[in-house]
Order: sequence, then structure tokens, then C-alpha cells
Amino acid sequence: MTRLTTTADPADLRAPAATRRRRADGARDGFGAAFVLMLPAIALYALFSLTPILLTIWISFTNSGGFNTEANFVGFDNYLRATEDPIIWPSLGRTFLWLFYHVVLAGGLGLALALAIGRLSRTRVFFRTAFFLPHLVSLAVVGVIWANIYDPFYGLINTALTQWGLAGWAKGWLSDPLLVLFSVNVASSWQGFGLYMLLFIAGLQNIDGTLYEAAEIDGANALQKLWNVTLPGLSEVMTFVLSLAMINGLKGFATVFVMTNGGPFYASEIITTYIYRLAFQAQDHGLAAVLCILMSVLAITITVAFNRWRARKSS
Amino acid sequence: MSRRKPAEWPMVALLLPVFAIILGPFLWLVTSSLKTEAEIGRGDPFALPKQLMWQNYADAWNIGGFGSLIGNSLINVAGVVVLTLIVCAPAGYALAKIRFAGREWTFYAFIFGLTIPIQAIIIPLYQVLFNLGLINSMAGVVLAQVANGIPFGLFLMRSFFLGVPNELSEAARIDGANHFQILTRVFLPLSQPAISALLIISALSTWNDFFLPLVVLISPGNQTLPLGLVRFASTYSTDFRLVFSGTVITFLPVIILYILTQRRFTEGLTQGALKG
Amino acid sequence: MLRRTLMASAVALAAAGLLAVPTLAEAQTLTVWATDQLADPLVAEVWNKLKADFEAANPGVTVEYMPPTGTISNGAVQAAIQSDAGPDVLLTNSGIGRVTTVVNAKLIAPLTAHYADMGWKDKIFPWLYEILGSQFGGEIYEVPDGIDAIGLWYHKDLFAENGWTIGGSWADFEALLQKIKDKGLEPLAVGPRNNANGGHLMGNFLQAAAGTTVMGEVVTAKKSWSDAEPLLGAQRVVDFAKKGYVSAQMAGLDLEAATRLWTNKRAAIFFGGPWFINNARKNEYPIDNMGFATIPSDLAGESKPTGGIGWSWMIPVSSKQPELAAKWIDYILSDEVMRFRAEHKTGTQISPRAMPELKPAVPVMAEVFAAAANGVGFNPSVYMPGAALDTYFQVIQGLIGGQVSAEDGMAQIQAKIPAL
Repeated sequence: MTRLTTTADPADLRAPAATRRRRADGARDGFGAAFVLMLPAIALYALFSLTPILLTIWISFTNSGGFNTEANFVGFDNYLRATEDPIIWPSLGRTFLWLFYHVVLAGGLGLALALAIGRLSRTRVFFRTAFFLPHLVSLAVVGVIWANIYDPFYGLINTALTQWGLAGWAKGWLSDPLLVLFSVNVASSWQGFGLYMLLFIAGLQNIDGTLYEAAEIDGANALQKLWNVTLPGLSEVMTFVLSLAMINGLKGFATVFVMTNGGPFYASEIITTYIYRLAFQAQDHGLAAVLCILMSVLAITITVAFNRWRARKSS
Repeated sequence: MSRRKPAEWPMVALLLPVFAIILGPFLWLVTSSLKTEAEIGRGDPFALPKQLMWQNYADAWNIGGFGSLIGNSLINVAGVVVLTLIVCAPAGYALAKIRFAGREWTFYAFIFGLTIPIQAIIIPLYQVLFNLGLINSMAGVVLAQVANGIPFGLFLMRSFFLGVPNELSEAARIDGANHFQILTRVFLPLSQPAISALLIISALSTWNDFFLPLVVLISPGNQTLPLGLVRFASTYSTDFRLVFSGTVITFLPVIILYILTQRRFTEGLTQGALKG
Repeated sequence: MLRRTLMASAVALAAAGLLAVPTLAEAQTLTVWATDQLADPLVAEVWNKLKADFEAANPGVTVEYMPPTGTISNGAVQAAIQSDAGPDVLLTNSGIGRVTTVVNAKLIAPLTAHYADMGWKDKIFPWLYEILGSQFGGEIYEVPDGIDAIGLWYHKDLFAENGWTIGGSWADFEALLQKIKDKGLEPLAVGPRNNANGGHLMGNFLQAAAGTTVMGEVVTAKKSWSDAEPLLGAQRVVDFAKKGYVSAQMAGLDLEAATRLWTNKRAAIFFGGPWFINNARKNEYPIDNMGFATIPSDLAGESKPTGGIGWSWMIPVSSKQPELAAKWIDYILSDEVMRFRAEHKTGTQISPRAMPELKPAVPVMAEVFAAAANGVGFNPSVYMPGAALDTYFQVIQGLIGGQVSAEDGMAQIQAKIPAL
């Protein structure tokens, strides 16, 4: 098993003598060769990802009403409207809350189960496979399944609670404004934790077994081994999972869209669902575009800040 | 890893309730898919179907037109998977192993795409596809899906290639091989785990993709499986028996694929993704 | 000589070709984006017969149904029309907000001329024609497929056993709901989560509180949502929620989940149109036990169902068969088709013109026809501009869930109404 390495190419840091020749070598064919190899990726990415993003920036300065409609340049009008919109800022807050829930629920469950399964030998593959199954379900279907589980009158949860004599615990999982975002996030995290779990399992396999032996010789108990060997050994995976979970969390859309459509009364509205409804239902494409840009800026800020933090941590 | 392991059963006993909770929704789904519409409407989640309605599966298959949908979905997945590999492997190699000015920034520019949800750019994306005459064509969906998957695929391949020792490519270069030859003869054979991880992840997301095909694939004959499920829901009512059985039908090929490849998949993630 | 023969045969071939052209041209396909309920075998039966009859009446024509992937609200109709593979004629959820979207995008063709030359003007109620003519500066882009009539559905047996009646005044209605609640049932079931059902309840409450004339002014932006009459309707929703007549948990239900409550008799009253009969049938609820009534109102003559043009036929600009499409719509408007659809088991809407002596297959439809005989009030959901509709639906959830006061809720809707 190869050891985990940091982001930077290890060869960049080491190999001082040989590099000079390679550098010269690289300089000769560097950009040209790289460009040719990257060309398909650049072309597709530019056409189907960057162009729409650029068009979005243009739309944000117009009063576009959607496909085929006449759009006039309105300057920063949409941006001004965004500052006054009563829905945007609370839903931005909820987007962060959603992100936090996803990292804690999906990331946490993934880690916990990886630690539990990592110790098994005969049943490991079984549990690993079984626990990954929810990740194979599409988010739209997850929404349909969980909406039924949460049904206040006929759902799995409330029916079970009532039958066990815990009727007082039965809740309006999707109607209580304080619960709804959490409830939907549980459904989304049920689908999402499997990948994180596999990554953590993989990380555990990469921890050097002799470290445990050394700890055992020092008389460490299970908890101390977890704290002093396992968790530090997983730090690399953890940052990876964290960044992946943040990106997935920020993109959260399908489960909210299917299960609550942002309701009741905006209680589960996050930026993406609001963008969708602004564009498709209200036909307010200008404001929707402003929100897209806001989201992109947010995503970039988080990614860059996270990478900086990660680089500082590992150096 | 020859450490002496403690007895396995306490942990298994601890995991069983978790297992039940996590897989419970599947049991519920399969049970419901075998009920009549009226039984589902009765709303007792713990009731078993009086009679196993295998007919639901036949109905979902016929009414949803799943025969052609599955064919389309397979073409869709095959196209995306092959193209993703062709696009991401060379680019990942270039970003990992070729030195050029602006390498870091190029990488970041690609990663940027990872953060944009497709819903946010669907309207301009539709315009681009429309202007290229790619609406209602599988090619349009495939290209857009591949483009959407490039950031992750590239990230994965680059991470893996970074972990391959430079000595290998050095040796090949001394033998006079160019970058393309190094990629295909040295790197690709080595990167099976990463490739299978990439293939499975992109196959999975393509198979389940709903939003893009919904907007782009118009003719019933061109549509993919997830769109078939929409056919069971109308404005005022949904045929849940068909939605549930159709979901199971959609789901089965993926489960089989995963169970068959799960060992490779985990290996791929271990050796591929984790070197980021 | 040879050359001449060749020439002659070429001419003959060309002539044959010319002769063949008209025959060939008759082999046409009409792609119809029709009902979204083809998965229901009973509904499929109706549409297959329509297809067969139309094909029989128009030799050489093949009708192909295209399963709708969505509505104007989620962009599916627009995407379909813009593509090369779009339908030639389509039936979809309409309402002024949605129709405006496709009209502004120049995606559907004006049908005003056909209202005159094909006589459609006389094939729909005069008041319908008047509404349609007032919406786009005289141009008409849609043909109503039918009118909704939203009222309240109750269980005949349950009401008879308990001696319950809907009553004539609002106080009677409240007293009834209290009795139902005391019996341990949910008085009203509603599923406002992700479709229009919240609007069905709200529209009825507004009708009862404000009446048709006032609501007509409200939905055409001549009167404010915050004015006293509509406000009273919203306030009553809030009051009912507080008194437990509408459980706050309903705010998280969708139409199906609410339907279940009613068909399992856990809830006594459901607000919906005649389409609700099909929902009940699916759950094997005894259709004969369904009773239909209009919401009580303290305003004289205002106890009416609400409705509007919720489903319309349109012809996309990209239609390859615009004339055949118009012929199809004309066929749909024919007495024969209208009667067949209305008298079929799945006939659950009110025809867009007076149809004397209809014998509906489902007896309760007679009650619906009777209730709508004095006209229907406004269901705001199909009259509101798109920007306000989204807020409207969210506010209804907020009123039921106790998250927003009637005043704030109505003010938020009003803020989204574009100034005239």
C-alpha cells in the first residue's frame, strides 16, 4: 500500500540534482505537450461549463425573462434587488447550516462506521458493501422514500413511535420550521455518507500497523490508540472528506427540492432551491443569476480558504 | 497487518441495529413495490402486501417503456464513461507530470467547476446546447455530463498520477518515449484502480442523473431511466406502486454492478482519491 | 429512339411522382403532448379512443402521444417546444402566469384567428371567451380543455351517521369542524407542500370571505391582497390552524399524503376539484360515498366552487402540423368528444361550454355540475403572475403552520404583484 502524500508533488521538493535536467527537459516541451493532452478537457469544459457561467454573469445585468425573451441591460439593478430581498439572506444562513449538518451527519457517520468496520475481518466486506448501498440511490428517489418515512400520520417513524408508546416523540418532521432542514439533511446524509465511509476505510488501511504495535508495547488502551494513532493517521483523509463534503453540501438541492421545495414558508429554503424557483417559477432570471454568482463566489472563497488552511496545517 | 484481533462478535452485535436502520428504507421500498395502490394508500408502513404484486414490475416496465429507456441509459453511461476517461486521463497526467507555467492556476480553474451546481447554470447551458443543435440528442447530454464531471475526474486522475514515482516516466523518457506514449504504456496500465474508481463514480452519477436529461431529452424514444419514473406522476396523482417498482428496476443494475466491482472500487478510492 | 423512350419514361415517372405527392403528403404524424395520466389504464382508454377516432376521421394521419416530462413551471414545456422534436399540439397546466411565460418567450402561436374561422368563440362559455380575450391585448393563445370546480369533499356515510351537515353560514361551518374534531378526526386535510393543493383550500376560503367580484378584482391587480375582504379569508385559515381544524403538520404534506388521510377516513373534509375522484378511486375508496359541497359563505350567493382555466391546449410555434393541430383542437371541442370524455368514468372536469343532459358515469359528478351551474369563483393559483404564485404557495404553508400572520402573509403576496 502506498503511503499518503501531501498535495505537492513530492518530486518537486526532493531530488535536487536530477531536477535541473528534467526542468530543462520540461521547459522544452512543457506547455505545448501539456496543452495538447489537456485540449479535450479544456474544450469541453470551456464550452459546457465556463460559457454558461459567463452567460450567467451577463444575465445578472439584464431583466431577462428566460428563453427567447427580450432582455435589456439594467446595470446593477438585480444586485440592488438582491440586497433587499427578504428571502436571500436567511436562505444563505440556512445554506451554511445545511453544509454544517451534512459535514457532521454524513462525515461523522462515515467516520464512525469506518472505525467500527475497520476492526472487523470476516464480516468487513459485508458491512462495507451494505452500508454503501444508500449511496447508489439517486437523490430524487431518496426524497420520495424519506418523505414517506417522515409522513406525520402514516410514516415509518411516527407510526413506530406511536406503537412503542412514545407518541409524544412523534413530530411533524417536515412541517416543524425548526426541524425541517435537519430532517431533510438526514435523508440527504443517508445517501451521502457511504462514499466518506469508504474513504475513511481506505485511510485506515494506509495506517502503518507497526504504529499500533508500538502503542501496545507502551501499554496504550483502545481509546488512547484511537486518539494517538488512528485519528492522526486519518488527518489526510479527513481534510479530503471535509472538502468533498463541503462541496457536496453546498450543492445540496435534489432532496430539498423533492421533499419540501423550500417550505414550509421558506423554512428549508437554501440558495439552490431559491435559484431554481426564481428562474423557473418566477421567471426572474436576473435575480437568479445574481444568486448563482453569489454562490460561486462563496464556493471559491470556501475552497481557497480551506486549501490555505490545509497547506498551513501540513507545512 | 498481522496484529492479533479481538473477537469480532461484540462489534457485529453493535453494528446490527445500525445495519437495520440504514437498510430499513430499502426493505420498506421493496415491500411497498409489491403492494397494490390501495394498500400503499392505506398508509400502514409495517403492513405486508396481502398478495405479492409482481404485476407492478411488469406494469412499470410496460407503461414506463423501460425497455427502450434502459437501452438509452446504457448508451448514456457508456458514452460518458469512455469519454470521461479519454478526457480526464491525459489532462490529469499533464497536470501531474508535465511542468509548465500556470499549471497550478489551470488546475484551480478546473476545480472551480466542482463547486457550481448544474441547476444554477441550466438555462445558459440549455442555450449553448441549443445553439449547437444538441437539444434532444444523447450526444448533447453526454457532452454536458462529461464536462460537468471533468473537475472531479481530473482531480482524481491527477492525484493518482502524482503518487506514481517520477523514476518510471524518467526511464521511459530516456528510451525516447513522448508524453502520450508514457501515458498509455506506463501510466494507464498502472492506474487500473483509479480508473475503475473514476468509471464507477461517473457511471453511477450518470445512471442516476435526472435534471440534465429532463431538460435536454425531449422525445420519449431518447429518454433515460430516471425520466421514466416521471411518467408515473401526474399533476394531481402519483402511481406509487409504479414509482416504487420502477425505482427498484432502476436500482438493480447499479447494485449488481457495485457488488461485482466493489473490491476494485474501494482499492481505486484508496489509491486514487486519497492522494489529493 | 432509345433516348426518347428514356425521356418518356422519365416524364412518366415524374408524372407518377407528381400524382403520388398528394397521397404521400397525407401520411402525416401529429405529435400530441397530452394528459400526464397515461399510466392510468382507465385514462389511457379514453385517449386511445380519441386517437383511434381522429385517425379514422382523417385517413393517413397518425396520432402519437408524447408523455409530458413536466409543465411550463419547470421548464419542460419550453424545452420541448424549442427542440426539434417538440409536440405539434399540447395540453398543459395553464393559468395566466404560465401562459405569459410561453407567450413572452414567443413559443406558442396565437389562435385568435381560429376562434373566428373555426368558430371556437361559440364553443366555450362567453365569460371564458371574455377572460381569454382580455389577457394579451386581444390575442388568444390557448383553448381551455375544461374548467375546474374546487369545493369540499366529504364522506356521505360519516356525515349521515353523525347527523353532520356542511351548513349555510361560516358559524355553522366552524361548529361542524369543532364537532368533527371532538370526534377525534382531522377536520380538514390539505397537502400544500409541493403542488397546488394549498391553493385549493386558500382559494375556497378567499371565495367564502370575499366573494367572486372582489376576488376577480384581486386577481387582476385592481384590488390589494391586503384589503379587508381577502385578508379575512387568510385570517380564517390562521384561526382554523390555531383551533386545530387544520393541523399544523399538514404544512409538510403533499397532495397524496393528504388524500390518504381522507380516503382512510382519518380526515373528514378535503378541498379539491373533481379530479379528486380519480385519487380516491386509486385508493379503492367507494366513489358512491363521496359527497361534494361548496364552502359556506356569509355573503349571499357566494357559496360557490372556485376554478378557472387550469388546463389548456396550445399550438407551439415549432409545430410541424399547425393546421392539423388546429383540427385536433377542433375535434376536442366537438360535442361528440366532449360528451364522451364527460360521461366516461374518468370524466372529472367541467366542459368549457354548457353541455345539456350529460349523464356522467360517476353520479357525484352531477353534484359537481349542479354546484358549478351558477358559475365558478376564482382559484387564484391559475390567475396569478408567476412571480407572485410562488410567494402565494409559501404564504399558504406559513398560514397553516403558524409561521406568518395573515397581515404579513398578504402583504408579502401583494409585494410580488407587478404594478399595472
